[in-house]
Amino acid sequence: MTFMWALYAREVKRFRKLMLDTVFSPIVSMVLYLTVFGVVVSAKSIGDISFLAFIYTGLLAMIMVNSGFSNPGFALIIAKNLGSILDLQVTPLRPWQIGIAYSLAALTRGLFTLSVALALTVWFIPGMTIAHPLSLLAIVLITGLQYGMLGVTFGIWAKGFEALTFGTTFVMQPMIFLAGVFYPVGQLPAPWNLISQFNPIHHTVNLFRYSFVGYADTAPLISWAAVLGCSTLFFGLMQWMTLRKLAESLQ
Amino acid sequence: MHALTVENASKTYKSPPRPPLKAVDNLSLHIPEGQIYGLLGPNGAGKSTLISMICGALKPDPETGSIRIFDKDVVRQTDQAKQLLGIVPQEIIVEPAFTVEEVLYYFSGMYGVPQAERRKRIPELLESLGLADKQHDKARSLSGGMKRRLMIAKALIHKPRLLILDEPTAGVDVSLRQRIWELVRQLNAQGTTVIFTTHYLEEAEQLCESMTVINKGKVIKEGKVKEIQQEFSQNIISFELYQSEVEHLAGVRRVGVEFELPFRDLVQDMRGLLDFYGDNLKSFRNEAASLEKVFLQLTEGGPTP
Ligand SMILES: Nc1ncnc2c1ncn2[C@@H]1O[C@H](COP(=O)(O)OP(=O)(O)OP(=O)(O)O)[C@@H](O)[C@H]1O
Ligand SMILES: [Mg+2]
Repeated sequence: MTFMWALYAREVKRFRKLMLDTVFSPIVSMVLYLTVFGVVVSAKSIGDISFLAFIYTGLLAMIMVNSGFSNPGFALIIAKNLGSILDLQVTPLRPWQIGIAYSLAALTRGLFTLSVALALTVWFIPGMTIAHPLSLLAIVLITGLQYGMLGVTFGIWAKGFEALTFGTTFVMQPMIFLAGVFYPVGQLPAPWNLISQFNPIHHTVNLFRYSFVGYADTAPLISWAAVLGCSTLFFGLMQWMTLRKLAESLQ
Repeated sequence: MHALTVENASKTYKSPPRPPLKAVDNLSLHIPEGQIYGLLGPNGAGKSTLISMICGALKPDPETGSIRIFDKDVVRQTDQAKQLLGIVPQEIIVEPAFTVEEVLYYFSGMYGVPQAERRKRIPELLESLGLADKQHDKARSLSGGMKRRLMIAKALIHKPRLLILDEPTAGVDVSLRQRIWELVRQLNAQGTTVIFTTHYLEEAEQLCESMTVINKGKVIKEGKVKEIQQEFSQNIISFELYQSEVEHLAGVRRVGVEFELPFRDLVQDMRGLLDFYGDNLKSFRNEAASLEKVFLQLTEGGPTP
């Protein structure tokens, strides 16, 4: 256990040293989104919740997904560029232990950011209560780990920073923006409403929103199945990638 | 027991569109416990590639026999093998975010060294490497030589029984080189087997008992440093002449201001030399060839013995 714990502690230390970048910058974006979209069009409501509460819950999910993905992604690509990936190769850590340590660090960063975000923005939504606390806890933890694992897979696979920027700009961002953070997916015209069902981040956003305010675009059970299925898939991908690539990643 | 056993290791780099490159080619090594052992070879010989395979940073080709550290297979008993090995890579690697202490603290943790033990070992080790006053400095702010010592500290923090240094003294000033040699001798006296690669033959002569010379991924010579030297010096008489611009004996080569004559029988060929040059002969000797010479002959000279 010491082995994994040390790596986890190192990765947590790393993002804490860059707090401004890793924790506060997503919060600044969130406040900007809330101000622009939420306050300006706050009169509208979706179902029986306000539009502000709608996007607020979506943005929290977005923070968790982004922190999860980018923390191990950046850390691993920097390690490859510096050569410090060697630390992972020469120490007796198994690939799954490396993957889990990085994913747990990603989750920790997500939790950090989420707490700060909640503390700083809760006054945007006066009188908000949490509809399903246990469900919220579960989806928060799973999301951090799940996208942490995806970030590890990506970080091990990617050759350099261009690949990471590509992944963030052309894969993650579109998936996040099409996940229904800013609009209800159910109201999209066909076939987009159907296609959105295949976007794993949609189900994460949906469950965040459901757990917070009780509103869901897609049946929560379906979303749970999708989220758990995806987590298993991401874990498998991470295992496969670390096993296959870790010893070759110096090339 | 052997500290390191390499049996038929190969590594082919495939980076299309370039043709595949066999950097290590069916190479075997058996390095006994307790030695300071030199691994020599020109640039691109495959030394670092071999070391990367030993430490787990590179997968050997599938036809590789086995690589074992104190009889622990690096693939099948990877955890045990890794605990026994400390490695100082050729390139200096520093993580900009961390202090010297943090670097060592987390790295030793990844070897499973308990926390209390880490807190005790780090200052001791830094003291012995002359980095005591740098413990809380950013690793990035160290000088090149200090960074090199930090790399050595990282390799020693989990008390390995085999230490491999890949060109530890490249780009290092004379006093630090002496210091690294001293450290290597000390560690060896305490029971650590040390393997190092180098281009400085002086270093091999000074430090190690045995060595292996590799070139183009293959072993071209191995044995005791003294014996390799002798083997190559036995066949050469070096001599100086008062007047160089004269007719020469068949087989004589000019080397700077000196001449060399390869020979078969020392007494007979010596007599021939005296008869031929007579009073023109200023001095002659049958000295131990410097390793430089041996090395050049081995790696560039035609067919090797
Ligand atoms: N990652 C890589 N991809 C492709 N080829 C490589 C790679 N690393 C090394 N090589 C090639 O393999 C050969 C052996 O390189 P290696 O670094 O093992 O040599 P070396 O003996 O350590 O040399 P030096 O003394 O210069 O450090 C060289 O021809 C080199 O170009
Ligand atoms: Mg090298």
